[in-house]
Amino acid sequence: MSSLITLSILAILVLYLGLYKAKNALLPATLLGLAGALVLAVLEWNGGAQPIYSGMMLFDNFAIAFTTICIFSTMLILLISKDYFESISEHVAEYYTLILFSLAGILVMVSYHNLTMLFIGVEIMSVSLYILAGIRKDDFKSNEAALKYFLMGAFSTGFLLFGITLLYGATGTFDLTQIRDYVIANPTGISPLFYTGITLLIIGLCFKVGAAPFHFWTPDVYEGSPTLITAFMSTVVKTAGFAAFLRLFLMCFAPLHDFWMPALLVISLLTLFVGNVTALYQHSFKRMLAFSSISHVGYMLFAIVALGVNSSNSVFIYATAYSIASIVAFAVLILVKRQTGADNFDSFNGLAKKNPFIAFTLTVAMLSLAGIPLTAGFIGKFMMFSTALAEYHIWLVILAVLNAVIGIFYYLRVIVAMYFKGAERNEIQSSSYFNFVLGFSALITVVIGVYPGFISSLF
Amino acid sequence: MINLVWLVPLFPLIGFLINGLGRNTLSKSVIGLTGCLAVLASFIVSLGIFIELNASNTKSFIVPLFDWISAGTVKIPFSFMVDPLSALMLLIVTGIGFLIHLYSTGYMSHDAGFGKFFSYLNLFIFFMLLLVLGSNYVIMFIGWEGVGLCSYLLIGFWYTNSSYASAAKKAFIMNRIGDLGFLIAVFLIFTTFNSVEFAVIFPQAASMLAGDRALIIITSLLFVGAIGKSAQLPLFTWLPDAMAGPTPVSALIHAATMVTAGIYMIARSNILFTLAPQTLHVIAIVGLATLLLAATIAVTQNDIKKVLAYSTVSQLGYMFLGLGVGAYTGAFFHVITHAFFKALLFLGAGSVIHAMSNEQDMRNMGGLKKKLPVTFLTMMIGTIAIAGLPPFSGFFSKDEILAHVYEHNQLFWVLGVIGAVFTSFYMFRMMFLTFNGSFRGTTAQEHHLHESPSSMTIPLIVLAVLSVIGGFIGIPEIFGGGHWLQNFLSPVFAVSAGKMPHLTLDHSTEFILMAVSVAGALGAMLFAYQKYVKKGEVPAEDRIERGTLARLSYNKYYIDEIYASLITRPLDSLSGFFHKVVDKKGIDGLVNGFGKGAIEASKSFRLLQSGMVGFYIFMMVFGIVALLVYSMYKI
Repeated sequence: MSSLITLSILAILVLYLGLYKAKNALLPATLLGLAGALVLAVLEWNGGAQPIYSGMMLFDNFAIAFTTICIFSTMLILLISKDYFESISEHVAEYYTLILFSLAGILVMVSYHNLTMLFIGVEIMSVSLYILAGIRKDDFKSNEAALKYFLMGAFSTGFLLFGITLLYGATGTFDLTQIRDYVIANPTGISPLFYTGITLLIIGLCFKVGAAPFHFWTPDVYEGSPTLITAFMSTVVKTAGFAAFLRLFLMCFAPLHDFWMPALLVISLLTLFVGNVTALYQHSFKRMLAFSSISHVGYMLFAIVALGVNSSNSVFIYATAYSIASIVAFAVLILVKRQTGADNFDSFNGLAKKNPFIAFTLTVAMLSLAGIPLTAGFIGKFMMFSTALAEYHIWLVILAVLNAVIGIFYYLRVIVAMYFKGAERNEIQSSSYFNFVLGFSALITVVIGVYPGFISSLF
Repeated sequence: MINLVWLVPLFPLIGFLINGLGRNTLSKSVIGLTGCLAVLASFIVSLGIFIELNASNTKSFIVPLFDWISAGTVKIPFSFMVDPLSALMLLIVTGIGFLIHLYSTGYMSHDAGFGKFFSYLNLFIFFMLLLVLGSNYVIMFIGWEGVGLCSYLLIGFWYTNSSYASAAKKAFIMNRIGDLGFLIAVFLIFTTFNSVEFAVIFPQAASMLAGDRALIIITSLLFVGAIGKSAQLPLFTWLPDAMAGPTPVSALIHAATMVTAGIYMIARSNILFTLAPQTLHVIAIVGLATLLLAATIAVTQNDIKKVLAYSTVSQLGYMFLGLGVGAYTGAFFHVITHAFFKALLFLGAGSVIHAMSNEQDMRNMGGLKKKLPVTFLTMMIGTIAIAGLPPFSGFFSKDEILAHVYEHNQLFWVLGVIGAVFTSFYMFRMMFLTFNGSFRGTTAQEHHLHESPSSMTIPLIVLAVLSVIGGFIGIPEIFGGGHWLQNFLSPVFAVSAGKMPHLTLDHSTEFILMAVSVAGALGAMLFAYQKYVKKGEVPAEDRIERGTLARLSYNKYYIDEIYASLITRPLDSLSGFFHKVVDKKGIDGLVNGFGKGAIEASKSFRLLQSGMVGFYIFMMVFGIVALLVYSMYKI
């Protein structure tokens, strides 16, 4: 809880730092504040959490774990943002502030215990993101991204809100515990309002995480937004969306599994195929990453389809592996784009000769995204598939494995470009911040891949 | 000393490592010394073990080294078993192994791969010792596979010659067929007895009924393994080809030690086989058929090593015949004596080949008696021993087997004696062609003729002495002997002996049997003498037309050709079919088609992402409607 308060105060503080032109203090102050929030969150681990603020929030281990990974990923992203923000805009402080506000919304999303808090969290996060997507005011694509995101986001928020309303209509409460009690107490006589509410919530949440057929905003927004914001959206925001999704279903709707499971199963498969198959034919690395993020949503939905005791753990590991690898991918993309001005696969040609370290870390990240053993991505996929198999979704897993095979093609494409294609290019100069983030992320990816025990038994 | 048994395989392993790593840097003398000393050290330890075991009252020791596989209920320790059977095998392997290492320092002295050769040879000894010492089937299997590997490496030692390389492959593949049988047998043993330890299995098995189905299947599969390793019908064709390796290898691996592994394994598992009389019957028939087939092939071969190779196959057939009639001691007795005289004969042949500048065709030899006196004398002793003439070693072991066979089945005995007659004939034929008459090679060869160096003749002399006196360890009681070997081995075969009828031949019958086989061998010898010394016949050139029987024998009954057309060629065309149709068109087509399909799908999926928000919202609404319809239906 204290980390949420820290974050909110930090955001305001950073805004004032910008006002007084203390540009150089922005990044250190933000990182320091985030580190403080991280420590405060971790300190509450196993604290026997009870709902607080009249049952609005519950800072349990689930919330702490996802808070930790979200803050941690944000720190990694901010570490590579030093020159980036300054190079694309004058309003640097607003960047930090907006990201921090968005993060505050995310913290609410992972720790809500009341549906109104879910809605508020989603909105705090989303509104900040609408602005961030369009923060390059002079850039047409950035504006387009912001507008599309806002339009469709507003559209989907309506469903989320309507769903919450229907649940309230059926149960007379927003409180998660009471809703669960309602479900348990009425095994047969559950109101149709309640069912429809669940369906509408699925629609709203699927939009937020970008599951097909509610994914259409993702590629366009990801492509148009500044790359770092894309990185933030596709890692931290996605993780938070899943945490919120999972929290709701785990706490309230588990007994109604038979009702919503088939729908989510179809959505999950559709997402996998749309994401993977479309990613195949992309020429832009950034757009490929956008579609690949859609396909990863498909894998993560497994945890909800096969809801059980292992679900939180699977999503946590998967999201961690995916976030870290994606951050590396986006970081290298920023470097390459800065040098060549393009973000297609060809601009990676010959990178391994000039920048072996960068190429190596990107290789590790790609292998992790593809789910090759000895990387964190493999452990994530393994957990997901075994969760699904535990519920006897054999066909789901077979189709998912097929998709994983398709995925290998486009992930390896960039490795092939880096190692096997020659091109005239100069060495990329990367700052030590970059090198740290790249090396550290690659290291974590391999460590989790080799020794998953220390993270897989958290819950 | 018995507790130090782990030293026995350790020395050759160290020798292998030193010679293997230093094969290009160490000098030949260092390599030779390391290789020989490693095996000599093993021999000395083995000797100590043997003496201690002989004096001890307990006849079976298990020496655990470490827990090797421990998974759930499966526990396989890495431990060694010392009992009379393994102690004797240790002496044979390290003793003859040492002599052959010594011989190799002379024989291989001009070879560029000297270091490699000695490292392989040491590795072979290491694996052979594992095979012999293992206290369970799994360790035995490690050794079993390991010696197969070394055999492959050494047959193909001169791998630049493509026919040698294919001989190596042939040996390996034929052995693999047998190994599969062995492996499945080990699995079945585990499922049946829940253990692979000899000490656990055999007492359990002893309480089973004779003819138990599980036992019959297990023993049949074990026998398949033995067929591969010990070159019996139908998997024997690799052994004659294995003569492509250097001659010391033929002596060590393909005559004295490795090929007897199958007999060792059956003797080790004797109780299983005793309780599976049907399998024993099959073993006897296979052994008999192999010994006759190989003996009749050997009479027309002209390559000195090929004659010995077929003779080895034939003698192995005798051992299996012995096993098949339950004469475990007799069969193992023959293993020992055969190791002496066959190693001697091969090394002698090597000495001849060495002197003849790598000539192996006996038609180009002749009259070598004077030039190679030591080789001639020692080889003659070996020949007399293998022909079964008293009192040399082969007489005792072969007649022990034949006596058991007579009691078991008199027809088998007749055929066995015919085999013995053939043996005597082809061996003396080989001797006369090589050493008598006049020299038939080129003048350059004649000029180069010389007796081998002492590093080669000393092993010959030692082995010759052993071939003469080796039989005295098993003098049967009709000659007033106590049959020391039988007493020594009795703990190993005690349970089996209790379940089998005892030998009840009276002395006069036994004498007659011996007299018949000795007379037959002598007659064959005289016939050979008449034919090749008196008349001075030389086998015909390859292109000369032969009579039907001679042609069959000369061409090895066309067995290789039959295998080629029955098995190799159909397999090749099946493989071609799988390669061209199933793999290229079917599987590759499926995979590539899948890939192409995915790319095509990608092209059209991509168009969905049109950039038009209106279209996006339309698609979303489509999804929303579908979901709502679904929930209406579901509620």
